[in-house]
Amino acid sequence: MARKITRTWWGERFLDALQQRIDPGRLSRGRAYAGPNRMLDFCIEGKEIKAKIRGNINAYFGVHKEPKYKISIKLKTISQEKWKAIIKEIAGNAAWLSRLIMNEMPDNIQQAFAKHGVDLLPGNHAGDLITDCSCPDWSNPCKHIAGTYYKVASMLDRDPFLIFELRGMDKATLHQVLADSPLGKALLAQITQPDAIPMEYAQHRYTQPCYQNYQDITLKQFWHMPAPPLPETSASSPLVSAALIRKQGDYPPFWDLDHSFVEVMEEVYERISVKNKAIL
Amino acid sequence: MYIFHTSWVPDNPGYFDNSGRFIFWAETESKSKDKTPANTHAGTVFQKKQLQQFFIDEFPLKTTLVSVLNPQPSHFYIALPSQDDIPLPSPEMALITGEMIPEEFDWQSWKIFGLSLEKPLLFLREIRFLALHKTDQFRLGSDMQFWIDYARSFGEIVRRHQYIPSLRCYLEAPAKKTTQPKLKISTGWEPVATTYEQLIADFSSIMPLACVAVQEQMGDKENTDSPSLLDREQLLRHFSEQMLEMLIQNVDFTKKLQNQFDDNFFGRLINASQKWPCITSEQWRQWRSWKQGLLGQEKQNGFNLGIRLQQAEPSSPDAWLLRFFVESRQDPSLKLSLTDYWHPDCDKSAYKHFLDHDFEKNLLLGLGQAARICPLLWDGLESNRPVGLTLNMEAAFAFLKNDAGVLEDAGFKISLPSWWTPKGRRRAQIRTKASVHSTPGQEKSDGQFNLTSILQYDYQLSIGEQVVTEDEWELLVNAKSPLIHFRGEWMEIDKEQMESLLALWKKQQSADETVTLTDMLRQAAEADEQTQIYSFDDTLSEMLSRLRDNQRLQLLDTPQALNGDLREYQKRGLSWLVYLESLGLHPCLADDMGLGKTIQVIARLVQERAQSTESLAPTLLIAPTSVLGNWQKEIERFAGQLATVLHHGATRTQTPAQFKQDIAGKDVVITSFSLVRRDASLFNPIDWHRVVIDEAQNIKNPQSAQAKAIFRLNAKHRLAMTGTPIENRLMDMWSIFHFLNPGYLGTATQFKKTYETPIQRDSDTLRSTQLKKLITPFILRRLKTDKSIIKDLPDKIEQKVYCNLTQEQASLYQAVVDDIQVELAQAEGIQRKGLMLSTLMKLKQICNHPAQFLQDGSDFSTLRSHKLARVSEMVEEAITEGDSLLIFTQFTEIGAALEKHLRENYHYPVYYLHGGTARKRRELMIEQFQDEDAPASIFVLSLKAGGVGITLTRANHVFHFDRWWNPAVENQATDRAFRIGQTKTVFAHKMVALGTLEERIDQMLEEKQKLSESIIGNDESWLTELDNDAFRALIQLNKNTILEA
Repeated sequence: MARKITRTWWGERFLDALQQRIDPGRLSRGRAYAGPNRMLDFCIEGKEIKAKIRGNINAYFGVHKEPKYKISIKLKTISQEKWKAIIKEIAGNAAWLSRLIMNEMPDNIQQAFAKHGVDLLPGNHAGDLITDCSCPDWSNPCKHIAGTYYKVASMLDRDPFLIFELRGMDKATLHQVLADSPLGKALLAQITQPDAIPMEYAQHRYTQPCYQNYQDITLKQFWHMPAPPLPETSASSPLVSAALIRKQGDYPPFWDLDHSFVEVMEEVYERISVKNKAIL
Repeated sequence: MYIFHTSWVPDNPGYFDNSGRFIFWAETESKSKDKTPANTHAGTVFQKKQLQQFFIDEFPLKTTLVSVLNPQPSHFYIALPSQDDIPLPSPEMALITGEMIPEEFDWQSWKIFGLSLEKPLLFLREIRFLALHKTDQFRLGSDMQFWIDYARSFGEIVRRHQYIPSLRCYLEAPAKKTTQPKLKISTGWEPVATTYEQLIADFSSIMPLACVAVQEQMGDKENTDSPSLLDREQLLRHFSEQMLEMLIQNVDFTKKLQNQFDDNFFGRLINASQKWPCITSEQWRQWRSWKQGLLGQEKQNGFNLGIRLQQAEPSSPDAWLLRFFVESRQDPSLKLSLTDYWHPDCDKSAYKHFLDHDFEKNLLLGLGQAARICPLLWDGLESNRPVGLTLNMEAAFAFLKNDAGVLEDAGFKISLPSWWTPKGRRRAQIRTKASVHSTPGQEKSDGQFNLTSILQYDYQLSIGEQVVTEDEWELLVNAKSPLIHFRGEWMEIDKEQMESLLALWKKQQSADETVTLTDMLRQAAEADEQTQIYSFDDTLSEMLSRLRDNQRLQLLDTPQALNGDLREYQKRGLSWLVYLESLGLHPCLADDMGLGKTIQVIARLVQERAQSTESLAPTLLIAPTSVLGNWQKEIERFAGQLATVLHHGATRTQTPAQFKQDIAGKDVVITSFSLVRRDASLFNPIDWHRVVIDEAQNIKNPQSAQAKAIFRLNAKHRLAMTGTPIENRLMDMWSIFHFLNPGYLGTATQFKKTYETPIQRDSDTLRSTQLKKLITPFILRRLKTDKSIIKDLPDKIEQKVYCNLTQEQASLYQAVVDDIQVELAQAEGIQRKGLMLSTLMKLKQICNHPAQFLQDGSDFSTLRSHKLARVSEMVEEAITEGDSLLIFTQFTEIGAALEKHLRENYHYPVYYLHGGTARKRRELMIEQFQDEDAPASIFVLSLKAGGVGITLTRANHVFHFDRWWNPAVENQATDRAFRIGQTKTVFAHKMVALGTLEERIDQMLEEKQKLSESIIGNDESWLTELDNDAFRALIQLNKNTILEA
């Protein structure tokens, strides 16, 4: 299947929302510009998205040397008052909190925004986006801005709070409101001190057995084996395929593809079991 | 005889890829004729060809399997307890060689040659089946047994997908000293989670240290006091992790599946050949965090998240409630529903050990995980104080059917209504009611079931315990919803199953079936418990309960005509025999050795003949040659009025006509197994009243000519006796049943397919339960440890075992008797006493075994002495049942010969204690014999050596191979195995040679016991007080009792 730039539907939704006012054809031309080949620099400063993209030589426009274009995008901000209300809404919903705590954007989070008369994703109204690009193309968006949109979309997949910040949410407000409800506090704890994962270096692929000095071993200890625990008879409990990995949900962060991780792994597990039936 | 071992040897400790080898090696009895390579364990097989031969000869494995295993010559080192520069044998090997393991030893490193195998798990699986059958060629070492058991349990981990794809980071040493080490991340798989961890914990604690004594290189040359052994848990993990990857490496995945991975680095897991992008440390962190989340619920929290389903009221069938709760890990009885938790008045003090600082965070994470597995739960999380959600019936059913199991498997606690659990579930079933069908015109019976009764079946549809009409059933079948509130309770409707049961019921209604008792027993036992229930009318119920519990039988008293008293349990045995036969069933009496099967059968013979008004045809009794004499003697003793004929020996009747005449009017004809076959022409034409088989395991092979001959006999009644536990050899059972109730267990092929293979190979518990149900009505087996028996048994039971002399023994015996006639008449005083004592000694030796008397180093075979044969058989029976035993003998030659005979021919653990045994060794032997963990063993000792201060209470049986004709001394010996206040009974078996002085002195002792003991004193010299005539009469040989082998 074709590999998309964005992973889950959040990226897609962002692009969809943009297409309310932007010509889809124009938008799609930007796709090629989001990749590392073209995108030379990309960063987010506060609420502004900045990018540097490599352009094309175009004699018609008098461009003889390979240009580097500067892009700037700013999203319309939502007022702090509204943010307070919206975050309170979020903090009152354990379903949303439990997704956010795992760094996932809940599907229907738009409801919290709609209640207060705003859209989470920009694109519906004029002035939602303020863009600028140093290229000579007057169309809006130009390919370069479109490419930057794609890049932003791909980042949204992984960091739900990014879009909140781009739309002006203040971290202090977030902390203040979350601290008010017990489950909100839990989310707050997680985002302020995410479980840091230190690197672990292994010496060996498999657990390496080490020697120990044993004292006073009797012959019985050396040779005798007490009765083993009875094995669970296979008939007793029903088998659930890929039971363990389901717990962390689909689309773990290291799975950068669009289709279901769980489904693929299920097939892998089944195949392994089938091929080893003689032993199991 | 070989002892097979397998060792897992970790290699390459200096490399990242620290693999291991699985090596098969063999310990051998005899040292090889070739020179052993240096430092090699000389007691092992080191020739490659010989090692490979085992796979073809001993195991034997299919050639395709052998090539898959790809055995390659390999070697490794192992630290073994050694002495004097020689490694000590494994306990299994010491059993074979009879070697005494010394108390003191040191540790030395030895080189072992073996074969490395490529697919250890496959090998261990295949070998498991073979290990169940004892062979004369090999046994398994405890290390191999360990790996077999572990492999089996580890298979479950893989089967249940309790493993995840994993990434391992390591720093690769740089090519040049100046450059930084390179970070490398490799993909793999690892077993994880609670079940696996528990498995590791359980098995590493029982791993014999021999498994961790492996070394990649030769250890210290000097003998050391303590060996370096590997950590057991680490070794087990090393093995498991590698095995998992090995299993998966060999799986070929479809191209389609490979494409699903696109270019994600985990694609390497299923397609190693393609090039994959390097994995970044960021990706590693993502994976690590993901793994932590997976397992986190298991490690960090003090609580488990649970979900309870509350059933709806029938009035509002769409109001099913799911409620969240948390359960303490420390104390699972401590539960708290979230409804209560969020309540402001909730008293949280009782739960504070898990309501810690991180509780809500973990709760949030847990709820999210549960909802990811079961998305309908998201609805219940739409508030900041989630408590649960409401489901309609369809959703509730889906939850019960699918989600509950998935959630439970993922570690959540699920609480479901009792009617959904296997125990509480009401099932749709067909109830078959069997009742006794009285034919019209038959006289009103007294309600007893007898041979002429025919059974009929009445079929009913039922749900749970209740009968359901056809209309109700159809209503249920046609219901739209999967759950129905029926007669006060909810239940699941499996539409398909109910439809097929309905069809079956209709079919059964129309068929006209009359059934016999054996048919019914079989059908009831084989019925699928889930869908078919059998119930019985009063008469049949009563009958079945009597069959099941022999306490309910009408207890018959000791038959008047029996010259002896039956113990309570023996009366019950008799009653059971009578009852079964009255039902037309043929019984198998399988009481433990020593409980008196013989007397119970004799009682039956006496009782039926006393009761019968007409004369009965003779009973044919078939027994091993060594017991024939015993039977005759016992019948004579307890039922002297029964006329017996012994058909044996060169002078026996040869023609059918003559035979018919000989047995006319006789009650019991006794013969041996081999003669039933050889003289079939004599036995077949007779319509026997009954055929009794003693030691029925002798016909365990239904293909043998012997067995076939017995199957062909005609008899109204049949009875089998055996002492060996039947559970171990199921095919033997088929044969015995084929004799008793032919057809009941189906054909041999059917039986093997339906029962033997599933039970023995696949450990199918369903089948083994079914088989048990099938055979239980026909077998009566009591153990001497049964509570109901113990109170009937005295602390000590003494039993005489009568054996005949063989021809050879008889000739020797007669020669001695003839020899002294003249001398005896002339001798006087001390000389005379001396002569008498020496004669007694010689005769004793002859009665034991010709080889002992002749002292010519000739074969100590069971063919030359029935006494030896019988003792061997009884020893075999005892050991098979797990009983340890003592054998007393006066003679050191017999002691030594017995030890050798039992060890070499049966490979039982035997200890022989005699005057020359060193004190230390003696103590060691006693300690090992008494060890409850050790297998059942034999202790051979002399009366004198068994004298003071020895406790051998582990023994259940005591054999007196030859007698010391002084009761006090003998009893003292028996008491070695007896301890005041113990709960078990000790059986003393005293061997007596028929027709010889042994028999007569035994009789005398019986009589003298009634007189004072002072006459006898404390040795045998009282025998020298007899006058010459009395002495001659004593030693005279009764030629009628000689029995050929």
